[in-house]
Amino acid sequence: MLFLLPAILLVLVFRIFPLFWGFGISLTSATSTDPGQFIGAGNYLRALDDPNFRSAMANAVVVLLSVPIFVTIPMLLAILIHQGVPGRTFFRSVYFFPAILSSVIIGSIFSVVLSFNGNLNALLGIAGISGVDWLGHSATALPVTLAIQCWSTFGMGVLIFLAGLSTVSKEMVEAARLDGAKMWQIWWHVIIPELRPIIEFSTVITTIGLLTSMFGLIYVLTGGGPGTATTVPEYLIWAAQGKLNRPAYAAAVSMVLFFMTSILAWLQIRILSRNANI
Amino acid sequence: MQKLKILTAIATMVVASPALAQEITVWDVNVDDAAHATYYDHAKAAFEAAHPGATLNLLSQPDAEYYTLLGTALASKAGPDVIWANGGAQAKALVGGLIPLDDKLPDLIPKLVGKSAFTGPDGKLYFIPTTLQGHVVYYNKALYKAAGLDPEKPPTSWAELTKVCDAFKAQGKPACFMMANKEGYNAEFFLSEAANQSLTAQQQADWLAGKLHWSDPPIKTILQAWVDTAKNGWYQEGGNSQTMFMDEFALFEQGVGANVMGLLSNVAHWKQFETNMGVDKVGVYPMPSPTVAADQHEGAPGVPLDGGVGYGVNKDSANIDLAVDAVRILASPEVLSYLVNDTGSVPANTEVNTSGIDSPGLKQIMGWLATRAVPTTHANSSAAELDEWHHQSQLLFNGETTVDQAATALDKVQAEAKPQ
Repeated sequence: MLFLLPAILLVLVFRIFPLFWGFGISLTSATSTDPGQFIGAGNYLRALDDPNFRSAMANAVVVLLSVPIFVTIPMLLAILIHQGVPGRTFFRSVYFFPAILSSVIIGSIFSVVLSFNGNLNALLGIAGISGVDWLGHSATALPVTLAIQCWSTFGMGVLIFLAGLSTVSKEMVEAARLDGAKMWQIWWHVIIPELRPIIEFSTVITTIGLLTSMFGLIYVLTGGGPGTATTVPEYLIWAAQGKLNRPAYAAAVSMVLFFMTSILAWLQIRILSRNANI
Repeated sequence: MQKLKILTAIATMVVASPALAQEITVWDVNVDDAAHATYYDHAKAAFEAAHPGATLNLLSQPDAEYYTLLGTALASKAGPDVIWANGGAQAKALVGGLIPLDDKLPDLIPKLVGKSAFTGPDGKLYFIPTTLQGHVVYYNKALYKAAGLDPEKPPTSWAELTKVCDAFKAQGKPACFMMANKEGYNAEFFLSEAANQSLTAQQQADWLAGKLHWSDPPIKTILQAWVDTAKNGWYQEGGNSQTMFMDEFALFEQGVGANVMGLLSNVAHWKQFETNMGVDKVGVYPMPSPTVAADQHEGAPGVPLDGGVGYGVNKDSANIDLAVDAVRILASPEVLSYLVNDTGSVPANTEVNTSGIDSPGLKQIMGWLATRAVPTTHANSSAAELDEWHHQSQLLFNGETTVDQAATALDKVQAEAKPQ
């Protein structure tokens, strides 16, 4: 118990206390220069009436719908590498490379690549396709941002799945092959069921990551725009405090995001664990 | 021996404590900028000469995150003694944490211009402006000539400006105007530039008070002009994802656009463009408005002008009087002259001598400031309205919303920010 004390203290001071402190602020009308008054659920009710909040939540739903893609791509690539494709060490390194770049660097690179006069439109121009303002239109800004997020994070997913694949029983795979199972049947009936705990872990981590780690990329790429097309809850939290001097409202949105993430993670663990027991 | 060391340390701290208490900390985003070095050096020297034993500690803060850091520091009572801020919505959002300066600096205040950007809702002055900020259009004379336009006769009316842009549109390239609205800043500039003659003096006052609404005809006309200019091809492609600072201005210098809505101080101003493009290659004119209000004169557009940046005193400072004197020195004509000469900023203190600066652009600008200064409409908007205008301007630019829908959304935000 004595050895656990430093860790417990750290969690209490830097996690639990700020959480309750933030919840307390969310119940006030505080600004940066005024402690404000207790207004109960006022900030939460305000959020319901705030078009920017509604837009952020709608964008969060789109982000969540992309989770299967964020999990499937690294899983398939890991399986391919695991099958022993030629140059697998090279591919493993290349896939992991974006994961070591900061989101600000990635955002800056893709701001150049995707600008109207950027590299992507130049390539399209060679093919006779007219350019698109990828980050300047509501229809394309969020999907493009999610694609960049996927590109920048899938390398870590590949490593996690490769670690999981190393635990898959070689005997089971060999037995299936001897029984005449095709490659895709081995994947579907042997490998993927064996990877279930890794899929569960990856799904939960990806969900939390998408809801709480996209700020840097969005800030650099789009600034939450055009309009509110790429404003997600965590960006709205920053905007409420950093642009509008509304720390109490920012705290309220933070609490909503915290509970949303917690509930989603809990549901995913429950659903995936239940399926595992079937 | 150990006890002696502890006692010595305690004694040292006790002796040092008055000196520590005499340190005035200033937060500013320009401290690390080489062009500002002489100004800060002279301010520090003047302050420390006036207050032996006291120190002026100028701390640089990151520009992009400045207000987030400042807000957090003020909320936790850990802010600096002296606070730098941009005039307008940002400064006005901070007045609750500052002391009014009207009674503290009665000799200095009458000599200042651009005070409204730093005045609180109670009518008191909370920041001392050091520079003026305004909006004019800079243009590339060589590109005008190449388009068959007279580079010495910039447009003075909306009709003339339309002809200028038609000439560039007929050429295909370069764009008539640079556009960088990724952060919504170009829309802010456009609002003030287009309002300079579109609104009467009374309407400008009504705007500040929240009595003139976004859906009222004078403002709605500006929103429509924003849509029409985009639709009519005044700007380069991709303006909605183009960053303003400093990309837009670098592209203007490279000739991607013939005109750019620029500033008077700090950056994207006469000194930057004259230095980088050549004094004889860049011209300047006040931007005409799409409509001319009853109390305005066609052909003589105004210059939206207000306090640019200024310094205020944290009400939680342990040394308020010393902090006030630091502000006085930072805004004094002698010290400000270094800022003006080195950075090209237009001073808010009328006693600063600018006659030594040999710039045709600045001479023109100073002439307009004396006779044609008008309020900066966007600086008289609330932070919430500006944020919503950023959003709506991007959607209008793409044709993803209508002027009516945008005005309705903006009215709602205005009503909350400026209740009547």
